[in-house]
Order: sequence, then C-alpha cells, then structure tokens
Amino acid sequence: MTEIRDSYPISESHPMPGKTATAIRFREIGLLSPIFLVGLLLGAGEVQAGAGEEWTQPGGDMAGTRYSELAEITPENAGKLRMVWNFSTGVLGGHEGQPLVVDDTLYVVTPWPNVLYAFDLTQEDYPLRFKYRPDANPAAIGIACCDAVNRGAVHADGKIVYNLLDGRTVAVDAKTGQELWKTTVADLASGETLTMAPLVAGNRVLVGPSGGEFGIRGSLKALDLETGAIVWQMRNLGPDTGMGVKQETFKPSYPPAPNAGTDTWAEESWERGGAPVWGWLSYDPALDLVYYGTGNPGPYNAEQRLGDNKWSASVMARKPGDGSLVWAYQFTPFDNWDYDATAENILVDLEIDGRVRKALVHFDKNGFAYALDRATGEVLVAEPYVPVNWATGVDKTTGRPLVVPEKLTGKSHGLVKNICPTLEGGKGPSAPAAWSPRTKLFYVPTLNLCMDWQSADAIYVKGTPYVGATIPYHPGAGPHLGGFMAWDAAAGRKKWEVNERFPVWSGSLVTAGDVAFYGTLDGWFKAIDANTGKPLWKFKVGSGVIGAPISYRGPDGRQYIAVYSGIGGDWSLVAGDVNSADPADVRPPTDFAPDLARYTSQGGMVWVFAL
Amino acid sequence: MAVAVAAFTVIADEAPAGNPLAGEPGAVAAGEALFSSMNCDGCHGGGGSGWVGPSLADGRWRFGGDADALFHSIANGRPHGMPAYGELLPENSIWQLVSYLQQLRAPFGVPTRHWP
Repeated sequence: MTEIRDSYPISESHPMPGKTATAIRFREIGLLSPIFLVGLLLGAGEVQAGAGEEWTQPGGDMAGTRYSELAEITPENAGKLRMVWNFSTGVLGGHEGQPLVVDDTLYVVTPWPNVLYAFDLTQEDYPLRFKYRPDANPAAIGIACCDAVNRGAVHADGKIVYNLLDGRTVAVDAKTGQELWKTTVADLASGETLTMAPLVAGNRVLVGPSGGEFGIRGSLKALDLETGAIVWQMRNLGPDTGMGVKQETFKPSYPPAPNAGTDTWAEESWERGGAPVWGWLSYDPALDLVYYGTGNPGPYNAEQRLGDNKWSASVMARKPGDGSLVWAYQFTPFDNWDYDATAENILVDLEIDGRVRKALVHFDKNGFAYALDRATGEVLVAEPYVPVNWATGVDKTTGRPLVVPEKLTGKSHGLVKNICPTLEGGKGPSAPAAWSPRTKLFYVPTLNLCMDWQSADAIYVKGTPYVGATIPYHPGAGPHLGGFMAWDAAAGRKKWEVNERFPVWSGSLVTAGDVAFYGTLDGWFKAIDANTGKPLWKFKVGSGVIGAPISYRGPDGRQYIAVYSGIGGDWSLVAGDVNSADPADVRPPTDFAPDLARYTSQGGMVWVFAL
Repeated sequence: MAVAVAAFTVIADEAPAGNPLAGEPGAVAAGEALFSSMNCDGCHGGGGSGWVGPSLADGRWRFGGDADALFHSIANGRPHGMPAYGELLPENSIWQLVSYLQQLRAPFGVPTRHWP
C-alpha cells in the first residue's frame, strides 16, 4: 500500500542521475583496485572485504568489515580534513547507525519517526531528492527499552529497505522515494519494536525484533525483497520445530540436547524469554550462511529462568533460503548480567596457529573477543579485550565460560557488587568494530565501566518492561571510562588503545589509506593512524557520536567521510540532563560520569568531511 | 514464576478525590515495592529518576502531580507510552504508588544549573 503524502519529490524537475556515472567509475577504479585483485587471487569462497566507491550495506559489505577501499585520505594528509556539509535531521533521538551512499545519493534514516532523507550529492548544498515520512506509530516510543533508535538501511535492487520502530519493514524506491511495500514483522502490543538494520541475502530481507526487556520471544524473519511478503520466521528459543532445528542440518560444534530452546529454561519461562535481534547481520555467500547475535534472556532476575536459556546471548548461523539453523553457539549460558550477543559478527579469514581459518570475529558485551570457525561455530580464540571478572576464561573444549560463582546474580544473591564489564558491554553492540585487511587489525570502541546488581521478582505484564533488577554503574580501574583499541583477533591480543575520557559508543571505520575514524560521547569526531593509534585530526560535531562513520567517493572523484552526531541510546538515558526539550523532565548529572552533560546535549545531525 | 496479578477495572472518574492512603503507615513502602515489581522502573528508572520515561523525582509533571492526576496517569495511561494499569492493579495499589511518588523529593535546586 502506498500512502499519500508519505513521500514526495523535492524537485521533480531535477533529473536523477542514473547509475551510469558511478558505475563506470566503479568499474574503472573499484575493480582494478589492489584489494579487489587480492580478492580475485584468493579465489572463490573468499568473503570480499570492503566497501568501494559507494556504501550500500550497513557494515560496508556483507562481511560487516566497515573497511573502505578508498585511500586518498592518509595519515600524512588527514590533518587537512575539513567539514564540507552538515544537516540537522530535525529529530532529537539517539542517532545510531550510518548513512548509505548509492548513485551519488546520500541516504539518511532518522530515529523515530524514522524519516528517510535522500540528498543529491551532485549539487552544491546537497539538496534533497526526496524525503519519505512514514506514518510511524508514536506508541512505539514507550515500547523501546533504550531510546527510539534506528541502526540504518540497506540498499538492494534499487530499493532502500529499513525498519520502523513501530514494527514494520519498508522498501522505498531509491530513485523516487515511492513506497514499494510495508510489512508488519513485529508486534508492538507484545513489546516488540524494530531498531536493527536489515540485511539482504539474495532475495531475502532479514529482520528481527528488539524487546529483550519486554518479555518477547525473539525471532528472525525473512521477507521477499520484491514483495515484502514474509517467507519464513524462525524463533531464537522454544521448541526445535519453531527454531529451524533439524537433525540432518543442525550441526553445532557443541551439540545441546534436543529441544534445548525449551528444556534449558525453568518451566515455561522461554515463552517470554527475550533473545531479541537488535544488532547486525552478516552473510557468507560461499557457505550461504547468515549470522546474527541474539540478545539477553529475560527477565534480568535470572532465578525466574534457571538453566542455560538457549539460544539467548548466542550467535545463530542460518540458511537464508529456508531459515534452517546450521549451528548456534552461546557466548553466555544462563546470562546473569544482560550480556546481549547482538554485536556484529565480522567475517574474515585469519591465520590461527599456522592455519588460515574462515573466522567470525565477535566482541561480546561479556568482555571476551571471540574468533569462531564460521562454518561450524567452533571456538578458535576467546580472550578478554577489557577487564573481565565474571569469568576467568573460556574453555575451548566445551565452549563454556568459566564463571566466577561470586558474580552470579539473582534475587537470592542480594546486592552483588563490582561486576565487570557492565551490561553496556566491554563494547556496545550498537557500536560496531571495523577490520582492515591491510593491518589485519580490528578497530574497537571500548567501555571501562563496572556495575553492581540487585535482582527483584519481575511480574510479566504484556507490552510493558519485564526486567527485575537495579544496576548502578561505576568507573573501572584507571582514569578513563573508554577507549578505541586495535585488536589482533588471531592472537587474541590488544595491539594499542587510545584512551578516552568517556565510554566510546560510536562505530568504527578504517580505510585503505590506513586511517581509522570514530567519535566520542563528548562530541568529537576523530581520525587516527590505523597502524599506530596516533591522533591525526578531530572536529567538534555538537553532540555525542553514537553513529558509525562511512566513506565514499563523491561525484567529483574525491573521498568523503560521513557520520551522524546525536547522543542517545542508553547514553542520553544515563548521561543526566542532556535533553532540554521537555521542561517536565530534569535530571541530575549521572554519578559515574558527572561531567558528561557538561559537554553534550541531544541533537541529530549528519556531517560530511573531505580534504 | 507464580505471581498472580489480579484483574480489576478502574474508572478514574469515579475514583475518590485525594489519596485515601495519605499518611497511612506502610503505603509508601508498599508503593516503592510495586514501583519495582510492576516494572515502573523499567521506564522511569530506579527511584523514578528517569530513563526512557521522564523523571518522576524532579518535582515537575507533564500531566499534573496532585494525587488525583497521578492516579489518573497510572490507571488510564498517558500519550507517548505510559500504559494503563487500571485493569492490572486494584485501586488500593495505585494509591500506594501515588503515595510513593508524592514523597519523592526533587534534588536540591536544579541540579544541572551548576557543575562543581
């Protein structure tokens, strides 16, 4: 159904430049780039890393590397970067995710009410080609646990596909802004919302709901790219039949008993056990596997759901064709700490112990950095990347963490003090890492926070929060609350880290020019040397950065960097008084970072930089 | 979990004026327990200090802070996400929540006016 006035062209007289110009440039430059040639030499089956001239996927490519092949900006000249354009989105909510660039058009999706802007990069001032304004349901705001965020769109087959917070996935014609289809995939009344960025694998659009704090029963749905029709739905918990677990195809490295999705939960607690899908998806076309992480089990009071709680806090590997589950691995069995596993799963080939392995690299909330075999789910590397005290390590023979009993929570444990990291994670799942095939390093935003935890009985009321815990944070050891780290995933070792005053909640970008980009909560956007971490450049963007930077080649042939600013997500909620728009809501500065609201306030903007 | 939630229907217009539990011993503590167990803190934060829902501890109110207005907000809900709890909680429990909310004290002054 097309809605009248949802979408309208800003300038009908301005002809849309077709794919031609960019496509030619891509053929001339992109396909001849050294990275592409390396990809060819590595042969079929390799997940090709990197975004080229455009940025068409949330993670830059199907593998989620957030690596740009563009190399014009280097450590030598990055100090000359300057702001060339900005735009206020008119929306105050937290600006997570990233823009897309396709056919010389910059696409921006805002937090609720999920406006889609399409900017014409061929004209001075980047005027709008169109603006699409969906009839977003305001009731969704009260069903979103942690701000009305959106993690971005995906481009495929001439369509911009993204999610509305109110539970609908939309496809919009990338050239005209015409709504092509709109499908309800999440049930607001049950506490489900949509915040994640969809992934397109073949002709399947893959989406899943948020709502781990609302007692949902998490799932992944596949829609037909052409029509929006729901092709299949697979649950993340519950009976095997509903999860796509079949004896002939389900071959995990650490096999559970049958019906683990029900039998690892006390009584019927799986029915409202959470395991949402609010993070990032990636896809390996050679293995034909889609990967996604599942969120926390609910409620937070773990004694209401005794057992491993499979498959919450897990990574799932499914066939996009029929949704069947090929393997699953649970990072945090019986999660007592809200350690969602919804962080990105970056698909790269790593040399580990002398063998090149098809790996999946994941920086979990629980503080461990994992490299798994992405064909089987076997744990290859699992090492802490931030201070961790809830577990002493991961047993690679069983795949299970070695839990410190004193850090278990639940009502009978009373107040449990000093658990590291916090439920915000050693890295925030909404702040994705990047990987460079040149340096072989991952670039990772980090948090240095710990928490106390007191559980209470939670009562389930459909469509309302289902939590049952009070969880104050405090700073971890040292004067810094966060950082930006270079990580060797094959060795499981940090190479260097840039300390930051506040937790770093932005995503990462690394380029073929060996420059890495990230932003800070106090509103700086920064470039550093990807080899050494040396600061190269910074620019104050007005509000805290929780979005993820991208890079693209503009119509003039130059390399550009784009990023959102606009503090939000958990960080507008815990930061204290950073929203001045409601005179009936005044908050004290947060105790663990009392200065944060001194440097930032809400406000969503898009920024573009170039040399 | 075996916590029964009794179903009651509350019609706010017929609710008595003023809080019948005002000054009653135990009402505040009972309201505080309900604030957690009914997951009010899931939106309004621990101690009502604000999360995705507005602060209830700053002495400022979108829809009024007297006892009857608070009862109405809880029983019938409010725009932008406040659910109606009138069918989930008996009147007495709603008044206990009102007792708890009304004794929350705004921090001294406006806390963000000055930094140390």
